[in-house]
Amino acid sequence: MEWPEKIVSVLKANDICSISFVPDGVIGKTLKIAEKDPYFHFTTLAREEEGIGIISGEYFGGRYGVLMMQNAGLGNCVNALASLAIPYQVPFLILISQRGELGEFHACHVTMGRATRKILDSMGIQHFTLHREDNLETILNGAIKTAYASYQPVAVILPTTLVGWKDEK
Amino acid sequence: MINRLEATQYLVQQLSDEPVIASCGNPKFDLFTAAAERKANFYMWNSMGMASSIGLGLAMARPDKKVIILDGDGAILMNLNSLTTAASKAPSNLAHIIWDNEQYQLTGGQPTHTGEKADLGTIARGAGFNKVLTTDTMAAFKKAVSQILSKPGPWILVAKIDSAGALGRPPKSPVYIKNQFMEALLG
Repeated sequence: MEWPEKIVSVLKANDICSISFVPDGVIGKTLKIAEKDPYFHFTTLAREEEGIGIISGEYFGGRYGVLMMQNAGLGNCVNALASLAIPYQVPFLILISQRGELGEFHACHVTMGRATRKILDSMGIQHFTLHREDNLETILNGAIKTAYASYQPVAVILPTTLVGWKDEK
Repeated sequence: MINRLEATQYLVQQLSDEPVIASCGNPKFDLFTAAAERKANFYMWNSMGMASSIGLGLAMARPDKKVIILDGDGAILMNLNSLTTAASKAPSNLAHIIWDNEQYQLTGGQPTHTGEKADLGTIARGAGFNKVLTTDTMAAFKKAVSQILSKPGPWILVAKIDSAGALGRPPKSPVYIKNQFMEALLG
């Protein structure tokens, strides 16, 4: 299995049946695999912050969700994470496609690339980075388990070392 | 003009165990005054704008429950895109009530855009809702509540309200609020 298949199989194994997303190229590859399985429900978000509310509501009703977005969207989520998900203790996985690091072709992604982990750190949100396919399932399973055990959102970052980067200069 | 507390009291009298998501500020203060003993009340502290999204998520996860959102004009203006998402997903068990007093009442009555040119009913229709009601009298509100509770939605009910403040103060512990709410939903 390649990384998109591995991610989707770990989600299903952890009872995460609902995917709320703003797509980018990397998230799109993951969605393409998940869409083949009627187990998953999909919600296209108009703005990433909505996803924090939607996943919280789903959790209150007894269903687990994942938020998939590019790191550009993390800035849109900050207040909902800080004042809803964290204090009300809503456990879920945030899957972040990371722009602005190795192989980035445009300056407008670089600042958020530098800021992503610091934003998460400043809110106390644990985060892990999937650099390789061979230990991807271990890290992703572990991150989800930590989220559920701590009743907190946990972020998993998909860097270009895993997903590749564009040839564009 | 509708009084929010009176309207909230009327609404909860019509409910049994339906979950109610109350936006931060006055909607949740009046919900607490109207029905402090209800476990199926979710009181939001902060995360302004998220009521519409929490309600949508809950409605999608629990098609067996009518989900009621008590929102404010200032709050929904902060998350207008959520209306397009809710209209696209269109869960028939969603009833979204927006108290519209055309102001940020809690912070001193500064006007919101609904006091100028924005019309929430028109915005909801444009977002894709086709069951949209706007009421400005208690009699019309009661009739609308009967419709949104008995017929499939998703519904948007814009209630034009007066500028009265709200005295109720629900529990402050987010985890206590969540646990009470989840116990009501999941047992």
